[in-house]
Amino acid sequence: MTGRLTFDAIVVGAGPAGVAAALTMARGGLNVIIIERGRFAGAKNLFGGVFYTHALADVLPDYWERKPPFERPVTEQGYWMLSPDSAIRVMHKSERYLKEPADAYTVLRARFDPWFAEQAVAAGALLITRTTVTRLLKDERGRVIGVDTDRPEGQVYAPIVIIAEGVNNLLTQQAGLIASDLPPKYVALAVKEYINLPAKELQTRFGLSGPREGVAIDVFGDVTLGLPGTGFIYTDQSGISIGVGMLLDEFVTHRLRPYEVLERFKRHPVVRPYLEGGEVREYGAHLIPEMGYDRMPKLAGDGVMVAGDAAGMVDALHREGTNLAITAGKMAGETALAAHQAGDFSAAFLSQYRRKLEGTFVLQDMKQYRRMTDFLESSPQFMGTYVNLLNEAALRYFTAHGIPKRTMEHEILKMVRERRSFTGVAWDMLKLMRAMRG
Amino acid sequence: MHAVVAIKQVPDTSNVRIDPETGTLIREGVPAIVNPYDIHAVEAAVQLKERVGGGQVTVITMGPPKAAEALLECVEQGADRAILISDRKFGGADTLATSYVLARAIEVINAELPVDIIFFGKQAIDGDTAQVGPGVATRLNIPLITYAVAIEEFDLAARRAVVHRRVEQGIEVLETTLPVLLTVEKEIAPVRHAPLPRLIAAARYQPEVWTATSPVPFDPQQIGLKGSPTVVGKAYTPAPRSGGEVISVAALGLDAVVARAMAVIEQAHIRNLQPVTGVVS
Repeated sequence: MTGRLTFDAIVVGAGPAGVAAALTMARGGLNVIIIERGRFAGAKNLFGGVFYTHALADVLPDYWERKPPFERPVTEQGYWMLSPDSAIRVMHKSERYLKEPADAYTVLRARFDPWFAEQAVAAGALLITRTTVTRLLKDERGRVIGVDTDRPEGQVYAPIVIIAEGVNNLLTQQAGLIASDLPPKYVALAVKEYINLPAKELQTRFGLSGPREGVAIDVFGDVTLGLPGTGFIYTDQSGISIGVGMLLDEFVTHRLRPYEVLERFKRHPVVRPYLEGGEVREYGAHLIPEMGYDRMPKLAGDGVMVAGDAAGMVDALHREGTNLAITAGKMAGETALAAHQAGDFSAAFLSQYRRKLEGTFVLQDMKQYRRMTDFLESSPQFMGTYVNLLNEAALRYFTAHGIPKRTMEHEILKMVRERRSFTGVAWDMLKLMRAMRG
Repeated sequence: MHAVVAIKQVPDTSNVRIDPETGTLIREGVPAIVNPYDIHAVEAAVQLKERVGGGQVTVITMGPPKAAEALLECVEQGADRAILISDRKFGGADTLATSYVLARAIEVINAELPVDIIFFGKQAIDGDTAQVGPGVATRLNIPLITYAVAIEEFDLAARRAVVHRRVEQGIEVLETTLPVLLTVEKEIAPVRHAPLPRLIAAARYQPEVWTATSPVPFDPQQIGLKGSPTVVGKAYTPAPRSGGEVISVAALGLDAVVARAMAVIEQAHIRNLQPVTGVVS
């Protein structure tokens, strides 16, 4: 063996956080290696969802010219609130969504991640795939000085390691940044299918005028049997991403099988017609860390920083995560550049990474919605009772039975009172406002 | 020691599905891999190089630009040089045209640095013809050993090697002069987990690209569709064989069963031979 393999920085994981960090550092002139365990960047990924472009534009201002593999711009979005046999659908469509590059696109990450990783490679980063980082290498004082991998002669050294390992945060634990595995109470499990449909057919069903229009729908209520969690339907280029996400805890407590919940969702009378005749091409499940602001790991230690899912950077309420990861990756990359300039890789110096993040939406949003997960779990009526109530009320409101309208209004109010008292409603609204305000 | 390995990038058939309407392979979205036998061929070449204490392993492939990925995987496994023979003019080649291009490329490589041994996988899992390796040996006019499972001796000075090859009855042990062309079974060498420094070397490596005219010209009459007399008449899934006969030794006794079996075999044999004699006469 000839000498140590040494780089200026090591990035573990070629997801959005890792690639954004590597790209930032490579452009700053550092010699960077990204180590990814999948066959290619994105190979381990399942995400089919909405991607917000603002964070990408920050890292890669000319991203549009580099032809990112987006599926469709999101030109219509909103909520479906399902009761067992009905749905209230609140959708927002605007001409202002039609301008491209758009604010949001539907994306299949198995296509997007390889493209994003290519941009980091083009900037000079070295991408090594099919290689798993097995542990952090530390010096006698406990400072991180590199990583070991599952390859022969697999040790790599660098004064700085950025952990972007995703939700299975083994290295984050090893670095001493977080105490233990995430409790099931704070991890969501999302199951998802990709259903193939010809683009023309898809556009007809969703009322889209062409390939440059797309829909993103978040679904509440009966989709999760009234339990905290959401469903989603997103239109891809020639297919639909459909799935359900619920806290792991809920699956366990209520003895639900994830694929059964998804099957049930797909069979819902309002949902089924959109999927008819489509061919399921992909099925899978993935964990989403919803630990929230208060249980996030420490973001930096001696010679090490953590970003993305591994750090719990997810805003579940607004289905955001990828953009948080990219922004955090960029901040970690910038901090690494500053550390190299100062020749200081101590936890004290690297703590400016967190301070930078506090100035952005990443930590501000996470802080604001810090109580959201707990709130929804303690107030199941929002996903259950209220959604059903709204559907019942709508049914009364929109049908004519030959009864006076005044009587109908009384019936609706009576229904509300029976299922949840007025004081209960008032109390719930107060709690909701507090949870939203943070 | 200079070894040349010819490889092919193929669709990962463990992931391939058949289009029920047309009966053809759906290649869209199917990951491409190095033909499984070929990666063992690369490994065999690298291990031989280690065994004789040095040398060079050159990997070549004919294919679209994307086939460069397959070459890089070979560099990870230890290949020193990789050449991608890629040009639209090579497209549509059958095994005859492919063997011409590879043989010609190996001649050029041999002129730069004499080649001692050439490796092929025993067959590609997408076409399953097992014709290109033998075709190249014929064109180069060198000894050919198919289904090789071990290289027992390899003596560069004496220009000879002893190679084991799989035959139906067992193992055939053959002595050959060098250079020799082997088509190999997977047993020839288990594929090792490539060391990290090799992965890094491969990530920085750029395969050479040879076109139909550069750095050397190929005969335009012998490449691509023009050089390919094979025509695919029809592709279909044959109906599964039906029936068969179970003869019970317990019920009939051994002699009766053997006699019955022999009668069936004889009949089948005669039926199979008929068209052949027809052609000969």
